[in-house]
Amino acid sequence: MRKLGAVLASIGLVATFAFASCGDSESSSGNEGGTLKVNFAYFPDYLDPQLSQTVEGWASMYNTYIPLLTYAHAENEGGSEVVPGLAEDLPEISEDGKTYELTLRKGLKYSDGTPVRASDFKASVERLFELDSGGSTFFTGIVGAEEFAETKKGEIRGIETNDRTGEITIRLTEPRGTFVRELAMMYTAPLPADTPATNLSGNPPPATGPYEIVESNPERNWAYARNPQWERNNAELLPDLPDGHVDRIEAEVVSNPAIQVDDVESGKTHWMFDPVPPDRVASVRQQYEGTQFEPQPSINTYFFWMNTTRAPFDDLKVRQAVNHAIEPAAVERIHAGTMDSGQQILPPGMPGYEEYELYPYDLEKAKALMEEADPSDRSVTVWSDNLPPNKEIGAYMQDQLEKIGFDAKLKLLGAPYFSVIGNTSTSELDIGWANWLLDYPHPNSFFEPLLHGESIAPTSNGNFAQIDDPELNAKIDRLRLQQLTPKAEDEYAQLDREFMEQAPWAPLGSREMSLFVSSDVDMDEVIWHPTFWADMTSFQFE
Amino acid sequence: MEGRGPWYLTYRRLRSNRFALAALALFLAIGAFVLAAPLWADWVAHTGPNETHTTEKIEVGGEKREVVNSDGTPIGPVWLDAGGRFFLGADGRLGRDEMVRLMYGGRTSLAIGVGATVITTLLALALALLAGYYRGWVDTAISRVLDVVWAFPVMLLGIALGTALAISGIDIGPLTISGGSTWLPLLIIGFVLVPYMARPLRGEALALREREFVEAAEAQGSGPLRVMLNELLPNLLPTAIVLATLNVVNAMLLEAGLSFLGAGVQEPDSSWGSMVAEGVEVLATTPLLTILPGLMILLTVLAVNVFGDALRDATDPRSKVHLESHTGSYEPDRRAV
Repeated sequence: MRKLGAVLASIGLVATFAFASCGDSESSSGNEGGTLKVNFAYFPDYLDPQLSQTVEGWASMYNTYIPLLTYAHAENEGGSEVVPGLAEDLPEISEDGKTYELTLRKGLKYSDGTPVRASDFKASVERLFELDSGGSTFFTGIVGAEEFAETKKGEIRGIETNDRTGEITIRLTEPRGTFVRELAMMYTAPLPADTPATNLSGNPPPATGPYEIVESNPERNWAYARNPQWERNNAELLPDLPDGHVDRIEAEVVSNPAIQVDDVESGKTHWMFDPVPPDRVASVRQQYEGTQFEPQPSINTYFFWMNTTRAPFDDLKVRQAVNHAIEPAAVERIHAGTMDSGQQILPPGMPGYEEYELYPYDLEKAKALMEEADPSDRSVTVWSDNLPPNKEIGAYMQDQLEKIGFDAKLKLLGAPYFSVIGNTSTSELDIGWANWLLDYPHPNSFFEPLLHGESIAPTSNGNFAQIDDPELNAKIDRLRLQQLTPKAEDEYAQLDREFMEQAPWAPLGSREMSLFVSSDVDMDEVIWHPTFWADMTSFQFE
Repeated sequence: MEGRGPWYLTYRRLRSNRFALAALALFLAIGAFVLAAPLWADWVAHTGPNETHTTEKIEVGGEKREVVNSDGTPIGPVWLDAGGRFFLGADGRLGRDEMVRLMYGGRTSLAIGVGATVITTLLALALALLAGYYRGWVDTAISRVLDVVWAFPVMLLGIALGTALAISGIDIGPLTISGGSTWLPLLIIGFVLVPYMARPLRGEALALREREFVEAAEAQGSGPLRVMLNELLPNLLPTAIVLATLNVVNAMLLEAGLSFLGAGVQEPDSSWGSMVAEGVEVLATTPLLTILPGLMILLTVLAVNVFGDALRDATDPRSKVHLESHTGSYEPDRRAV
């Protein structure tokens, strides 16, 4: 028995080295292993790939749940490249642009040892609709999806799978120029077909990536360990995906960003996920820039939405008045210089971005517009989350609204903020802060989920302004069918302007993010991904 | 010689206690400071407590200075160099006048401390009178309800109620309070502290119920309401007043704690507790924003506590009402001194 054990151990050791060398395409000079500790200001909205819509959630699951296609583990433009994930290759697209064919890699297993099947993909897309996920809006173009979304019965006819061959065929009702990118989002990452259609954040389902979530206490902490099936099966089958360096990752919710900074400075934690708060940016930059701190680019838009279905913001003049009441210099100071103010929907760096200024800061004009509109209901609620600088910008907006004649009250919420404002039945949804970060580098990723009438959903709503303009909806639909040519980019820029003429938002601008790590982390090795921020697989200790 | 009434004796004892008088003077000074908030805001600072001045410049000693620098650093105390504007500097990147917010914040803190105590006292007296007079199942029912509330740590219960009601507020019949209203923490604090006052009062009411003057009143045909209001209540009042004085401190501290944790007074309104919470975020760079409201809480608590202690001794020098923090309890400790 003892001898057999030793032999098996030797085989295991050899196999481990063999797989490890196959799986990791990157060379590494740092130390392997160890436990990485990270602080988050919030527990992710969901630790469930079909439900999460936030960068916290996506970053937390980027290396856990691998979709059929995924985004390359690289910085800047490289990170926007769609590469095969669980699929063998990028899809073959029919000439009419309506049929996508993919093949699942053979031999993949979930972390619990269950084989990954082609039908799991179909089940996961159906689960997306069963959960009424906000992400389902990207997949309603699949044949039968809308019907399934309504009835939650039967199946989505437009997805055909063959578990024996791994073939997956997706048929769309009409061509969709962004579909490959949408397949690379977290929403359709395959889970075992029998995964219940309930929020599994407290008990996350088995993983396909290099890490699995082994512990989850919503609102408090969660932890990852290496996925045992990664080393045995998946690493060899997914050679382009990194293995990761650390053995365990422990994430904890520390809601006070100042304490997060202190923890990183003292080495109590190795990395703070959130950007350094405005009050500490200057001192952290001065002390640690280049060694432990680095400003990071991010493609995002911060804005205030105005509920176009409710008085007083159902009046265009009132919405325009609010836009005129925002002073860019004040916005920049409130963000301690980390905000590049702007008045567009699309942020700089996004195809279709074009700078313009429809609403220069002019408090008198804002007051005049309010006088013209003379809304009967001037009592409004300003919503924002309670983290700096979002709570300050909420207080700023409340004060500006008071200055132009509103009776405004401020409502600050913690972690469930987006769930509350994304629930259209929440009372007093008048005006509120929100931000939108890059899903994929295509302007449709801003317009469709945030401003298309069909994106208005009772829960997980992303169209916070609830704008439903048939003419603008039709333009989004038409542009979506096209490839992203320079002409299409111009049309998106025009669409941006047309939306802002309707003023459903009062945009603030784009915020610079930051990476701040403890002194024992090799910051140079950390990959800052444009969508998922700091890539957990790239962390290693000095 | 004409006999002196208990209130007069209390007054005499208080008057001879210098610490008590100093504490009272300090409390009155704090009260005057916060009551003067609108005057300071209108005539000196020329701004409201929630008004932002992010991009404004002010003249300080003949020199133009930004209220908030481009990197978000707020101006520090300028005392009277800007004619009283930004006397204690700005509160952060929004550029609100710290002095004005401190004064208005004090109003909120004291209003909640006193207002919640009024609610607690009224409810506690009512429950104590009912339980003490009727005894039996009425007493049992009231005591068990108090036990249930008592069973929750007061801060935890306050946070639970505060966060649960922060979004929807209260809407029960004619009582409608919106989520961000200052009335919400006032009512919550008033409610969660009831057992801490009702239990000792109930004990005293039960003891009073057995006294001869109650029997005498009943023998003369007094009904339950008359006995409760004319016989029991006047005898409960001295204890209630002492407990209420000390309860003000607990209510203020609880408000500070709740606001610090985000479950009390909501932005943009300020209280000393919420100002401490805001200041903690910038403690490393602008410690004054935490120290000032913290100091005000300290002084107020000290003043009320010292005065409350003296009042207790003056009311009945032989008794000692033992006060614990708001996580503990008030228990009459009738040891001979």
